[in-house]
Amino acid sequence: MVKIVRQQMICIIAPDWRGGVQLSKSDHYALHRLFLDVGVVHFASIALLPPMAGAQLPSLMLELVVEEGLRPYDLLSRLVNHPRGALRSLYRGYLSSHASQKASELNRQLLERLMSWQHIADGGFVGARDRSVQQIKEEKKLLEQARIEARVLKATHGKDRASFALALARWAFGDSRFEWAAEAAPRSYWREKGASIIAKVVAAVIVLWLALLWLIGFLARSAACFDTWLWNRSNPAVQSVFGAVSDASGWLLGVSCRFVLALIVVSFALWVFFVALPALFAFFRRWLDSLVRELDRPTETWSSLSTYLAVWLVGLPLVLAGLWSVVTYTFWPQYFKDVVAQWIPAGPGWKQLLIGGLAILVLIGIGAIFYRFNSLLQKFSAWFYHPHEDDIERAQQVHPSIEESEARLVRGTAHMISLTDMRSPHGWSAWWTCRSLRIVTFLGRVLFTESRLGNAPGIHFGHWHIIDNGRRLLFCSNYDGDFGGYLDDFINGASIGTTLFWRWTKLKPRAPAAPDQPGVAKPRAFPPTRFLVFRGVKCELKFKTYARDSMLPHLYRFDACRLTIDEINRATVLRNALFGERNHGNDDLIMRVIES
Amino acid sequence: MKRLAYKPDALPPGARRLLYGGYCWLNRHAALLRTIGALLRRWPSIAGRFGLVVRARAVKSVLTRPRSFSNTSHAPNLVAGDYLIAMDPGPVYHDDRALLDKRLKVLTVQVHADCEARQRLAGLPQSRNSVSFDLIDDYLMWIVHRAIEPVFGTAAGNVAEGSQVAVGDPGLQRQYLLETRYVAGQLLAGSISTLDVQRRAEACAGALRARIKGVIGHIRSAWGLPPSYPSADIERNAVGLAWIAHAVTVQSGALVVQELLRHPEVYRALRSKAAAIGAPNVWNHVDFRKSVHNHVLELMRFRPIFPLLVRDVPRDTVLETGGQKDAPCAGGKSVVMLSIAALFDPAAVADSRRFCPHRDWGTDEDLRWLMFGYGDRRCPARKYAVDILTSALIGLLTLPELRLAHGDGKAIKYTGPLMSRMRMRFA
Repeated sequence: MVKIVRQQMICIIAPDWRGGVQLSKSDHYALHRLFLDVGVVHFASIALLPPMAGAQLPSLMLELVVEEGLRPYDLLSRLVNHPRGALRSLYRGYLSSHASQKASELNRQLLERLMSWQHIADGGFVGARDRSVQQIKEEKKLLEQARIEARVLKATHGKDRASFALALARWAFGDSRFEWAAEAAPRSYWREKGASIIAKVVAAVIVLWLALLWLIGFLARSAACFDTWLWNRSNPAVQSVFGAVSDASGWLLGVSCRFVLALIVVSFALWVFFVALPALFAFFRRWLDSLVRELDRPTETWSSLSTYLAVWLVGLPLVLAGLWSVVTYTFWPQYFKDVVAQWIPAGPGWKQLLIGGLAILVLIGIGAIFYRFNSLLQKFSAWFYHPHEDDIERAQQVHPSIEESEARLVRGTAHMISLTDMRSPHGWSAWWTCRSLRIVTFLGRVLFTESRLGNAPGIHFGHWHIIDNGRRLLFCSNYDGDFGGYLDDFINGASIGTTLFWRWTKLKPRAPAAPDQPGVAKPRAFPPTRFLVFRGVKCELKFKTYARDSMLPHLYRFDACRLTIDEINRATVLRNALFGERNHGNDDLIMRVIES
Repeated sequence: MKRLAYKPDALPPGARRLLYGGYCWLNRHAALLRTIGALLRRWPSIAGRFGLVVRARAVKSVLTRPRSFSNTSHAPNLVAGDYLIAMDPGPVYHDDRALLDKRLKVLTVQVHADCEARQRLAGLPQSRNSVSFDLIDDYLMWIVHRAIEPVFGTAAGNVAEGSQVAVGDPGLQRQYLLETRYVAGQLLAGSISTLDVQRRAEACAGALRARIKGVIGHIRSAWGLPPSYPSADIERNAVGLAWIAHAVTVQSGALVVQELLRHPEVYRALRSKAAAIGAPNVWNHVDFRKSVHNHVLELMRFRPIFPLLVRDVPRDTVLETGGQKDAPCAGGKSVVMLSIAALFDPAAVADSRRFCPHRDWGTDEDLRWLMFGYGDRRCPARKYAVDILTSALIGLLTLPELRLAHGDGKAIKYTGPLMSRMRMRFA
């Protein structure tokens, strides 16, 4: 299910590139024309990847971000066989070209090579979902024309929202250029109603499963009774078969019911802990926030260290106890009851209530002592919570080639290429990173369907590739805004995912891919993490310098639409509102889009 | 022209693959379809209630009422843009049809097909120990291409190679033929195909349109059209002509051979006739050609390329079921014709289950061509297609006995409902 997302983002890494640092103007033009003609490429870029240790020459990376559903072979076949031969020209150094060789033979050679060099993303996120390049362009035209028309209509219908929207809709319906928009903008299963259907299906499957087990047991028992009634005597062989079936179904039914019950109890407990209690009690909310903050705390302090230790000492046993309880209750309920009964103090109910009340009072007392202690010993408190300065050795220095690349994109969609090394052992790091990326991709596909990854907006296409036999991690992103803001979005909006898939990387010293490109002089590590997903990117300065130092400039860039995610979404909203039914909601949407 | 072809999948994961897989599987199992058809033919009125048309009389009735049962059902499957097959009668349809008829008149398919078949046969390995060959890629694809490429006149080379100067590069021509195959593959069940199949067809359609656009000047002059003739109209017709004829004829040829191999006695009889006539004369022997022609039609009756056909119902109407009661048909819905069931309808075809190439069809001669449609909207190039397949089959009959090459993997490979490979070897 995630392959369809991964296939949208492809990197072709051609090793031992001898073609120099600059692409010729004719190559630039030919590539641009190629991507425009083909019409399915959202973004493309070319960059040089520094050589691996032991290698002499850099690799040429061609990043292709394309529409959904295209298989790499079909895409590359389309690109390679384009009559202009742009890719043939780009990769001419790799083709054994003789004067007598026909174009089709060269295309075949090139296609084989590109297929052997291509990597579909190991993980990726798509912001503006369910849209083709052509749709984005057409909707952009609709938005522009609607704004022009709205200026005219304002003079006559400006005072009434409904009549203004109606007049604009009439204009849109009457314009043959926008016939295509009469159909509502398509939405994929997961953006439409997929999640709710799946929830219903899961509920139905559970109920049907339980009903089926009960029915099998019931039928077996009924058949046994029928057998006895029919022959007026009990046949032991038949009775034992029916008895075994009935027992098996009863046991499975019991296990299934208890497992469902245990899941409900665990879910309820988690809901109480993470939702109900924070909503009811401000101090609990503050405590929970403080716990997460301390786990995420970028600097080493006594407070964060003690929280870390406390989670190990309290949290881990609690999780293990929870798992043990679920498994034991599901399969050995009597043993579970016996163990729990040992822990419940024997005695009448009022004594247990008293013990419970006392326990709560003791906990409140401990909390009050800590609070008092905290306010009395301000100095100690300051020392306990005092953040050290981040151990950044130097002010951030960005390589001129990166700045130049960013400057070229200042009016379009920003772009980032980051190359890091996997930590040793590579296989282990690559495996974990790959699993993490798959999870992020799955969540992006199923849950984060409205252009935001977690709380991070503005990502058009972000993709990760584990390359060079699991030794390096390549990250390419096409995003709105600037680099600092983009990383801030990750730090504040999607820190767990970002930490998860970057935590197994480091930066080894590396020579630049070309004399005027950045290298890595000193080895760096990704900021330390806690419990896999905490801290990491929250070490803001460390993370930003790490990300900066891992960046590479691009040699070529193609952006098919040059629109921000917000603009893309606005145009789609306008299309649906203009051509949808006339009501207050749609009228309001039209006004808001036109005015924005 | 389709402006926004791509649509994301609105079905749950796996559902489309299941649906499309089921359809393709059914499409490949003609015997099963014939059985279902035989069953439904017993209760045509009930089948009609569910929008299924099974009896020959009913199918003919539907196909002769194009305004009540519209060809627009094909429109979602035309990834390369609108064309005659999916149009309702109107000015555009009539203009395009006139242009097509004009272009078809220049064809002399038998000459070109015979010539290419001979050349291809000469290149085939003909010993028992030799390796297998692909009936589609090594034989049929090229025969059909050479026979129908004159439809583009002097621009044929430019279209096939997608360049201003044709250099006779077979690799480029093969690429063109693959593009048309995937575009045509959508005609069968494009709207239910999986997303990757749809996207591949769209990519090929894009390439085909770009190819035609690039040589539109050559086509204009080859077709003798004045400069005032709109380029968009030329493009629509050229694109349509490029994809619709070739792939469908090649698939029909593969199905004909597949069916022939299921009737070994018929195959042997034809081969012995060919051997008796002798290699040089077999191509021009009038009676033999007529016999093979009849065999091709009968084989196509057993394996029609479109065993199921859909028609849109634009407004409320009544469906003649061929039974005692007609069925009401609500506007906005569609009907499905089991043309394979109609071709085996004992009420219309005497001894319908028997393989009989020389059957006397009497006044129902048109029904014999039902796999190409019926009435005014039937395929205008049907006779050319059967002539090409006749030439191709004559060529195969001059070879030693053929079998499917099961040795190296599956002999037949499918891409969706279409065969993309059919490996053969000598028995």
